[in-house]
Amino acid sequence: MKMPAERWQSLTLGIVGIVLFLAAWEAIGVNRLAGLTWPPLSAVFQFMFDPTKAQLFIRAMEASFSMVILGYVTGSVVGIALAGLVHVLPVVRPGMDRLASVIHAIPAIALAPLFIVLISREFTGMAIAALNVFFILYVSTTSGLNNSTTGHRDLFQVLGSSGTTRLLRLDLPAALPAVGSGMKYSVPAAFIGAILGEWFGSSRGLGLLMVSAMQNFQIPLLWSAVFIASTASLIVFGLMGLLEQFVYGRYK
Amino acid sequence: MPMPATPLIEPEMPMNAPLSPAPATAPEAWAINVDHVGKTFTLDGGKELKAIDDVDIKIGQGEFVALLGPSGCGKSTVLRLVAALEDVSTGRVTVEGSNPTALSRAHRLGVAFQDHALLPWLTIRDNIALPYKVAGRPVDDKRIAELLALVGLSGFEKARPRQLSGGMRQRVSIARALVLKPDVLLLDEPFGALDAVTRRHMNVELQRIWSEQRITTLLVTHSVEEALFLADRVIVMSGRPGRIIKEIQVPFARPRSHDVQRTMEFHHLADELTLALEPEGHH
Repeated sequence: MKMPAERWQSLTLGIVGIVLFLAAWEAIGVNRLAGLTWPPLSAVFQFMFDPTKAQLFIRAMEASFSMVILGYVTGSVVGIALAGLVHVLPVVRPGMDRLASVIHAIPAIALAPLFIVLISREFTGMAIAALNVFFILYVSTTSGLNNSTTGHRDLFQVLGSSGTTRLLRLDLPAALPAVGSGMKYSVPAAFIGAILGEWFGSSRGLGLLMVSAMQNFQIPLLWSAVFIASTASLIVFGLMGLLEQFVYGRYK
Repeated sequence: MPMPATPLIEPEMPMNAPLSPAPATAPEAWAINVDHVGKTFTLDGGKELKAIDDVDIKIGQGEFVALLGPSGCGKSTVLRLVAALEDVSTGRVTVEGSNPTALSRAHRLGVAFQDHALLPWLTIRDNIALPYKVAGRPVDDKRIAELLALVGLSGFEKARPRQLSGGMRQRVSIARALVLKPDVLLLDEPFGALDAVTRRHMNVELQRIWSEQRITTLLVTHSVEEALFLADRVIVMSGRPGRIIKEIQVPFARPRSHDVQRTMEFHHLADELTLALEPEGHH
């Protein structure tokens, strides 16, 4: 590995930061500095890992994460595919760009009721997640596909390359770093979309747990659901960061 | 357009006369025929810039011609026209008797650019194999190994471009240009970014490689020594708009070694070309 010293330093600092954050959380909770609605971390953990609650959390996680994954995959596939299409058919590019920005400019909250009517309550979260992810990947892929240098484009022309060959052997590999970044940054967007969708009356999922815990003043349950959703999002974000790093090392 | 009033330097031989051993019966006999070509670029704001004007170059089969000129004289534009990377404004360019795009479409053109243009995500072996892939032909690993040996890079198959030095990358780029045994080789200042010692070394290697293959070659350079050492014929251009002002035949027998550069004749020709390159023609 290159630069082990710097790596270790940033890793150590990261761990110190997380420990400080969790310690502050515990201290605020134990001393009731933020009132009754801020439980100590230990109380949240105790609640979360209570065996009698396991079934509840597992079912909620299954429901939410399947929507996150479905939304993430759908959004990525559509975003990358449409970016590829406008790259091959530049005439439709301005129209597609505008459509994507218009969709992105409409708040997901405003669209959620429409999705509930159009699809179903259960899949509203997935639809919002897919929309969020679609926009990020469409933008990153379209810009990535134009990342090849003039020198490389000249090279493919003098080699007598067809458009398809150039797309596969030059434009796509050159776009991979940008696509990798897009895939990383759309992870939180997918989680936000899925959980937001569940607030609107889904019958399952972490979003539903949060809303019902909030309404019934079940503070440890509320914090547990938030903790699970945030941790899952951060872990996947971190994994995608590793993927992004690998792609940058290989293709840039 | 008439020729510029009284050429600045009296050419020793008529410019358009065949200086090479190639047959000159029909225009199609030329491997590369740049026929009274002009190129005008339209800049932002509608202003027009005449890059080259009435450039006429004939290159015979298997001939090595160097196009020598100061930076910005339009010599790279000539090469880009021959490579079909630009279209002519006036005149005509034919390569092997047809439109230059025909040659690249048939995968019979080899080009080495000033910027090596290696793909950073491919290994050295895969970079050299790229022309096969683009042409949809099976990759000939024996040929790649041969070329790697020729450019002195055997054992670097699995390395990536970033792991190599600038000179090594240029050699890979030349190997890639040669891999499909092209009919025409275009070299656009391939050693322009290298230091003097590496450049000299690369010239000797290129000379050796070329002497083995004898491909019709157009080299664009601003180095007098490079042009004289490598080429059969040197054509000098002046800048803005680019015009041909001088042409000389290089008499040295091949294969050439470093010693050629120490001969009186080499120095004499180098002086003559340097003089022609000076901004006002001479002094």
